[in-house]
Amino acid sequence: MRFEEELVELLPRLRRFARGLARDAGSADDLCQAAVERALKSQGQWQRGTKLDSWMYRITRNLWIDERRAAGRRGAHVPIDDAVVQIAGDGAAEVEAGAMRGDVDSAMARLPDEQREVVMLVLVEGYAYREAAEILGVPIGTVTSRLARGRETLMHLLGEAA
Amino acid sequence: MTFDPATVAAFVDGELDGPTARRIEREAEADPALAAEIARHRALRGRLAAHYAPIAEEPVPERLRTLLAADGKIDTSLAARREAKRSQFAAIHWGAIAASLALGLTIGLKPWAPAADIASEQGRLIASGALAKALDSQLASNQPQNARVRIGLSFRDREGRYCRSFDSGALAGIGCRDDGRWQLERTARSEAGGAYRQASSGELAATAAAMMTADGPLDADAERAARDAGWRAPRP
Repeated sequence: MRFEEELVELLPRLRRFARGLARDAGSADDLCQAAVERALKSQGQWQRGTKLDSWMYRITRNLWIDERRAAGRRGAHVPIDDAVVQIAGDGAAEVEAGAMRGDVDSAMARLPDEQREVVMLVLVEGYAYREAAEILGVPIGTVTSRLARGRETLMHLLGEAA
Repeated sequence: MTFDPATVAAFVDGELDGPTARRIEREAEADPALAAEIARHRALRGRLAAHYAPIAEEPVPERLRTLLAADGKIDTSLAARREAKRSQFAAIHWGAIAASLALGLTIGLKPWAPAADIASEQGRLIASGALAKALDSQLASNQPQNARVRIGLSFRDREGRYCRSFDSGALAGIGCRDDGRWQLERTARSEAGGAYRQASSGELAATAAAMMTADGPLDADAERAARDAGWRAPRP
């Protein structure tokens, strides 16, 4: 299959992953778009026979991290625990109600970035710890400890509703 | 509970080797605390899967697809075909299916045991265990009377893959051979009640008919030949 065709096949999953990282559908698709553009440009770096999906997830994740860091430098970074309140802005009560109801988006938004990406890769995308570690460029032990913390927070926030 | 939380989590994530996983399963039968802990982890996985699954089922926005077709040389027929297929089965809601599988089937029956017939691999539902075995080896034309999984039709779909409809009592659907696995393409749920129910044989047959090529279902000889060749699709 051609490179572009394989990418087209991956798009639905990539959009899902991006949606878990970014805070809304629009920026998630922006992230996907940037990732696809980067992939087309760096096509030569992808080695045929290695997994295209891991490579694409890595590109997507790195772009997202870059963006988050840039936002942090610009002073736009929002401390995680304030993030929900910040998003709320015009509807704080609604978001609060969402969190109380055990809303998954609200709960995920409360996770630190490094936990959210691990939760998405392992619990949603179904990657093995080793694969997730490769995508993220961290040791497996880091994956499991971040995953454990993310899980506990989510279970706590989603409570019985989980 | 003799297993630490990390081991229980690894078990639910499918990260343990066979003997350790079996030891946990055995112990969970007699240890309600362990069983509850496993159920709690499974519930979270199910909740997240159900929440995010529908996104992968949305049509991919034009602006993303055009990036990959902009030079006009690229064959987007694959995407177009998938799109067509998706709209054809608009009533099928993967999020709900994932939720029912994760919550209903696994927790309802035996919270500590792995969902034997279904596995999630990189976000796709694939057949495993007894279901995979039946899809691999059982011939529709020659099934044991007491077979737990009944095979309905075997056919080639328009992408050239071998697909088979099945009914295992708890779950009915269509599995298509993709990359050496049976990817579960179609299962259905009642829109009215909201509860999971198996697709009726009539619905499945109609779905299969819509997926298959003009050649129709495989006859007994063709089915046997396909099985003996490991369901490897001759590429069109």
